[in-house]
Amino acid sequence: MSEPSAAGAKLSSGQALAAFMVRHGLIIALVVMEIGFAIVEPLVLSPGNLLNIIQQTSYIAVFAAAQMVVIVTRGFDLSLGTTVSAVSVASALVMTGMVANGSTNMPVIMLMGMLTGLGLGLAVGLFNGICVSVLNVNAFVTTLGSLNICFGIATTISDGRPVFDVPREFSGLLYSGTILGVPAPVIIAIVVLIAIHLMLTWTVFGRSLYLIGGNPRAAALAGLPSKRYLTTAYVVCSLLAAVGALMLTARTGSGEPNLGGNVTLQSIAAAVIGGVSLRGGVGGTYAAVLGALFVTALSNCMGLARIDGYIQQIILGCVIIAAIFVDRLRTGAR
Amino acid sequence: MFPAPAPSRGGGRFTEAVNSMNEHDGNLLELTGISKRFPGVLALDNVDFDLRHGEVHVLFGENGAGKSTLINVIAGTFGPDSGRFLYQGREIRKLTPHQARVMGISPVFQEFSLVPEMTVDENLFLGRERSRFTFLNKRAMRAKAREVIAELGFNLDPTRKVGSLSRAHQQMVEIAKALLTDVRLLILDEPTASLTEAETIKLFALIDRLRAQGVGIIYVSHRMGEIKQIADRISVLRDGRKIATVRSDEISETELVELMAGRKIEVLFPHVDHRPAEDLLEVRNLTLASGSVKDVTFHARAGEITGIAGLVGCGKSELIRAVFGLDPVESGTVLLYGKETSSFKPTAMLRAGVCYFPSDRVAEGLALARPVRENVSMAALDLPEFAKGQVIRRKEEKKTIQDIVDRLKLRPPQIEPAVGRLSGGNRQKVVLGRGLAREIRVFLFDEPTVGIDVGAKLEVYELMKLLLEMGAAIVLVSSELPEVLHLSNRLYVMHHARMVAELTGQDINEQAVLACFFREDAPNAGSDEVPAERAVASAA
Repeated sequence: MSEPSAAGAKLSSGQALAAFMVRHGLIIALVVMEIGFAIVEPLVLSPGNLLNIIQQTSYIAVFAAAQMVVIVTRGFDLSLGTTVSAVSVASALVMTGMVANGSTNMPVIMLMGMLTGLGLGLAVGLFNGICVSVLNVNAFVTTLGSLNICFGIATTISDGRPVFDVPREFSGLLYSGTILGVPAPVIIAIVVLIAIHLMLTWTVFGRSLYLIGGNPRAAALAGLPSKRYLTTAYVVCSLLAAVGALMLTARTGSGEPNLGGNVTLQSIAAAVIGGVSLRGGVGGTYAAVLGALFVTALSNCMGLARIDGYIQQIILGCVIIAAIFVDRLRTGAR
Repeated sequence: MFPAPAPSRGGGRFTEAVNSMNEHDGNLLELTGISKRFPGVLALDNVDFDLRHGEVHVLFGENGAGKSTLINVIAGTFGPDSGRFLYQGREIRKLTPHQARVMGISPVFQEFSLVPEMTVDENLFLGRERSRFTFLNKRAMRAKAREVIAELGFNLDPTRKVGSLSRAHQQMVEIAKALLTDVRLLILDEPTASLTEAETIKLFALIDRLRAQGVGIIYVSHRMGEIKQIADRISVLRDGRKIATVRSDEISETELVELMAGRKIEVLFPHVDHRPAEDLLEVRNLTLASGSVKDVTFHARAGEITGIAGLVGCGKSELIRAVFGLDPVESGTVLLYGKETSSFKPTAMLRAGVCYFPSDRVAEGLALARPVRENVSMAALDLPEFAKGQVIRRKEEKKTIQDIVDRLKLRPPQIEPAVGRLSGGNRQKVVLGRGLAREIRVFLFDEPTVGIDVGAKLEVYELMKLLLEMGAAIVLVSSELPEVLHLSNRLYVMHHARMVAELTGQDINEQAVLACFFREDAPNAGSDEVPAERAVASAA
């Protein structure tokens, strides 16, 4: 209810500090956390561990970016985790099946595996998107439903067991491979994130997502094709989830029906902590990456400090709530 | 809204008598040196304000002058950074909204605090439900709700869901809610913005009754007519400072406007040169599926302002919304530039050069979290000037939007701040900027100056003049009668979903318009609350 006048009054030093903290608080918190844990456990800041954090971040950053694309439109995707599981199992089954049938053309096998995964992602995204935008079912119910559907698919086609013997070449390509010494997952994440960033900042589609999320009715009045764009947003989200799922499958070397267990929560947490507003219209790739880095570093530090896994869950939960609180402060300041 | 047909000032039947009884006259509220700072803005700068028992104290000022901040401080929404807050002689610190209510401070804000999914009576008792043996005592609450609503003389069904009510009715619920408790200090923030004439009269009668009971009332309004009618004293705010507190009967309207603006404002309405040319928009026998518009025919020509007057809820707003494709059409034809159009959709209409500007800018006009730039270009992203296929031409966009923002004299003239940071008048300019971002020939304005101050209003009117010179056709829908009376070349009047008159030239005057409203109602007069209807009839 504030009535900011046009006259730009000077900020008091306290408020300048507050504004600075809201903008850069996360980086400061990250540095403080790393140093704090390093005092307890010097390994935290070892080059090996830092590299490890970066590798880990590349997965979560992809998922956070996926989540961010729909959160910006005032939605979210609860089915992201089980989409990851379903994609992992389906692509692994296709690849192992082709090998079992005597196919030896590795590039074709891997291509088919990846296309299967991406195709499944596309299907889930279309389903979510159409339910949300055309049928007007809210995002919570829709994606809760598809969460179960994907979980069902993943467990049914795999009989609930991991699909072993994913071709080693697949892991070589998406996990252990390097270009100029940079690990494949990091490269894939960078490419994906740059693409998402360009999509959001330079395309009419990306711009429209912010406007639709910022005020859906205003977007409709401005003649933006909201339904089409919203559907596409969910498709982009699920496709990114599929990319991340393929990366994870390459890392484990098997199709895992429980691969996406924590992914939904982590991705939402990373996006929100990074500063993507659940109220829509605010957020970007930078936020997703920063949030992902923070979530990864936090669990990495807690792991090294031998904090109990369940306690870690409690701390992560608290951090998410704190992040939403900060988001409120930020909105209030606006 | 129409200049109120004034009953004698302070016209309550027993006002004077009770006032004299209330002569114990310590101030109800006394604020000294109140300051409040928000990031980047000093919203209140050392403001003194006092309110007596049984007084209507009007707060007057431009958007962004600090009125909202002040009433929020009084309602306990947030605390002041400095200053003294005396209420009923006691110093109050760290006031919370709840505490304020308990002490009898009841605010009615423009932004409603209602739950759309709940019924009227549930909303009235929200947070102070009555219970018996731990169960909600619904019957008692419903009875009390009926009683309060009847006392207010509002036409409200307590069992209806609030979300299904019109804005005017929601406003009544909000007022009823404020009065449910023992009120000592009532805050009304532009309460008449969405009320009809008859409802306004009822509200004023109520204000008189409360005043007689010694309740102090802080009343925020931009409407000169009603301010002069109900105010005892007026405080003028400008840029967060209090400029003056004056007795209402000691100041003229012009002086008041000058105090508010800090400069001389010669005219409230500019002179508009109409040069009517060909028909750009023609609507024939339009009937909407909702029934809010029935068999309406009108046309709008290039180079003139076509006004549509009518009471709140008469269907005038729905009419132009339907033309833009926002309300489903049942039958009728719409001709654009002489050719019949069939696709009623915003996208198609924008492409055809028709743009609708909504009255509720926060709900329908703006993405508040997004920058000015994106909000202005948002209806033009399909144009090659702004995007090559899907790729936005960001440099060109910046330049074009900066030009538009400069032309509209947006303050500050920056394109990157979030729109949510701007004041009401500037927000409206951002919405209007859309009409300049692409080639628009037919402008459909829905209450274009509601909730914005005199200075900004004048700028909106100037923009309309400019558009006319560029050969646009302007359809101006407004509940503010002086506005349509002064600006229209031809004025249509709508009543009960139908077009009842088309006035031109000398016929465009208040009597003619009011006559349209009450002509057919006359036989029914007296069915409603009597004094209010009589007052209206005498005005007509």
